Amino acid sequence: MICGFCSKEIPDEVGLNSCGGCGSRCRKIHCPYCGYANPAPGKLLGRLLQPKKKKEES
Amino acid sequence: MHDEVTQPKIVLIGNPNVGKSVLFNVLTGSYTTVSNYPGTSVEVSRGRCRIADRTYEVLDTPGMYSLMPITEEERVARKILLDDRPHILLHVVDARNIERMLPMTLQLIEAGQPLILVVNILDEAERLGMKFDLPQLQKNLGIPVVGTVMKRRQGLDDLQRIISSYQGPPPPAEPYAADLEADIVRLAGFLTAEYPLGARATAILLMQRDQEVEELVQREEGDGFPLIAPVLHSIKFSRRADLNLQISLERKRHTRKMLDGALSQEVADQLPFSERLSRLAMNPITGVPLLLLVLYFGLYQFVGNFGAGILVDFLEGTLFEEYINPAAISFLNGLTDTYWLRELLAGEYGLWTLGVRYAIALILPIVGTFFLVFSILEDTGYFPRLAMLVDRVFKQIGLSGRAVIPMVLGFGCDTMATMVTRTLETKRERVIATILLALAIPCSAQLGVILGLLSVVPGSLMVWLLVMIGVFLLIGFLSAKVLPGDNPVFYMEIPPMRLPQLRNVLVKTLTRMQSYFLEILPLFLVASVILWAGKMSGLLDVVVEGMTPVVTALGLPPQASAAFIFGFFRRDFGAAGLYDLQTAGLLSPTQLTVAAVTLTLFVPCIAQLLMMKKERGLKTALAIFFFVSLLAFSTGWALNKFLLTTGILS
Repeated sequence: MICGFCSKEIPDEVGLNSCGGCGSRCRKIHCPYCGYANPAPGKLLGRLLQPKKKKEES
Repeated sequence: MHDEVTQPKIVLIGNPNVGKSVLFNVLTGSYTTVSNYPGTSVEVSRGRCRIADRTYEVLDTPGMYSLMPITEEERVARKILLDDRPHILLHVVDARNIERMLPMTLQLIEAGQPLILVVNILDEAERLGMKFDLPQLQKNLGIPVVGTVMKRRQGLDDLQRIISSYQGPPPPAEPYAADLEADIVRLAGFLTAEYPLGARATAILLMQRDQEVEELVQREEGDGFPLIAPVLHSIKFSRRADLNLQISLERKRHTRKMLDGALSQEVADQLPFSERLSRLAMNPITGVPLLLLVLYFGLYQFVGNFGAGILVDFLEGTLFEEYINPAAISFLNGLTDTYWLRELLAGEYGLWTLGVRYAIALILPIVGTFFLVFSILEDTGYFPRLAMLVDRVFKQIGLSGRAVIPMVLGFGCDTMATMVTRTLETKRERVIATILLALAIPCSAQLGVILGLLSVVPGSLMVWLLVMIGVFLLIGFLSAKVLPGDNPVFYMEIPPMRLPQLRNVLVKTLTRMQSYFLEILPLFLVASVILWAGKMSGLLDVVVEGMTPVVTALGLPPQASAAFIFGFFRRDFGAAGLYDLQTAGLLSPTQLTVAAVTLTLFVPCIAQLLMMKKERGLKTALAIFFFVSLLAFSTGWALNKFLLTTGILS
């Protein structure tokens, strides 16, 4: 995922583990470089977001 | 096994998405293995290649942005540099963004690495009007440089030839500005052990507070470290405010010097539109009008008039009022004859009437339109430019451009934005940002409802906007005067501006709407139950009565108390309460403006209060809570007197 603020690539491993800080169930990925809260799409929306990449990988 | 140990290593390094993996595959063919780096979940690809009768082991490292790691990937990439001692290091850069990537090349030269610079994706850079003189760049840098289009294997022969004839490590790095250079040389002079990154780069990383490097130096220097520690401490302290900025500026200066004569670009009037727009967005003379245009069309017209006006009118006024509500209420009332249960389900503060209706018919269309605008702006790369634009103003109120991140996120949800204030560098900045978020940054739903309500009353929106900006700047300025501490320094790499991608925008908008809705619906339902319980027990009347003198002092009708009580549960819940008052015709233009101003400034909701306690501590959170409450009502009172006296909105 590319951070919506600094445009740096957020490693997959950062994932949702970095969130949960506010106790709500928001799905957000905080960029490790700038701290910006990026929306983390669920499975269905996530698939829509990166179909091309997956095809290339396979 | 013996063969593996003796093979020289070629390590590929560079930012993500510059074509490292393509180069790795081209070099190694199909003989590759992918495994996790020991002790981590980070994958590293290894393979072999044969160049001029010599076999090399090739490693593809995870993407990294600098030698100072932030993520686990970067840590692994640096560890490979430290531990694997490459024979040749291929730094792969994207030619289109060479100015942003060359500072890492300079860092690697500083670290004395056996470096070859691979300028990849040359074809697309040339399409953008960039013309490279790579022999000149090679001369400037003092290391071999090869231009490639690796997806077409263009430049592969040159690269292999350079690898096979590689002569050795790069020349010494260029010195920085005199004062900085003196500190680096002084600290490096104390380092007696042999470091994989060399004494100079190690000294710079020490000064930049790299914990891993400090531990390495402690281990390597052993008994000698107590001699280094006071020097290091003194340099860190004297340069605590701006060291990273100074190093970054120096590297940028060197980068420009290295590119001098090696890269020519089309003249300014032929620059790509995105680059011209980017410059306009950051220049105060053009950036402020551009920001006002964004606010006018994005927030006022689209979120306020379209989202909070047309969409809400349709959903709430037509769909719910005429079709869904009568059927739903009749169905729910038909389920039971018990009065309290009917009240709970579909009464004045019932689950359906308040919880579901507010969430779906009022808030969802507003946050939906807001998130759409937000995602479009985000996808264009406008926000970092906004950060640069407001940096100068923010400095006057004790903040830096970095605070744009929580402020912008606050328009989505203040609770989450309060958590993000932890990314600000100084405690002073974190406290000021927390106060301003609690006070003057309305969340998207609240903002949307207020824009929708006030836009129908001429002048009202302007009064609200001026009060909000005035309070934001005044309180920020006073906080900066009262709270001790250094002024923060802000710098960031500006990523390229781009056309928003429809798929990105839609997915981000829908994801934000989904998570927002799932977050607010249960809260709205719980708030409905609490209000219902308050109504049934009579406690709500007591609270409303208790608030009535305060509310009437603001010139508002007693019924407005409920909106303030709602607002304490959620800011957006309170704004929806205000919407009900307005549609019931209970507010004059002056009252509407005063109520909107007071409610926007009003205390943070429960969730934000809890987050403030978590982030800033109980004492600070309570102090902010009482300060904000007092200021909200004082401002509302003063505004009411002012508007009545001047008759501006009469």
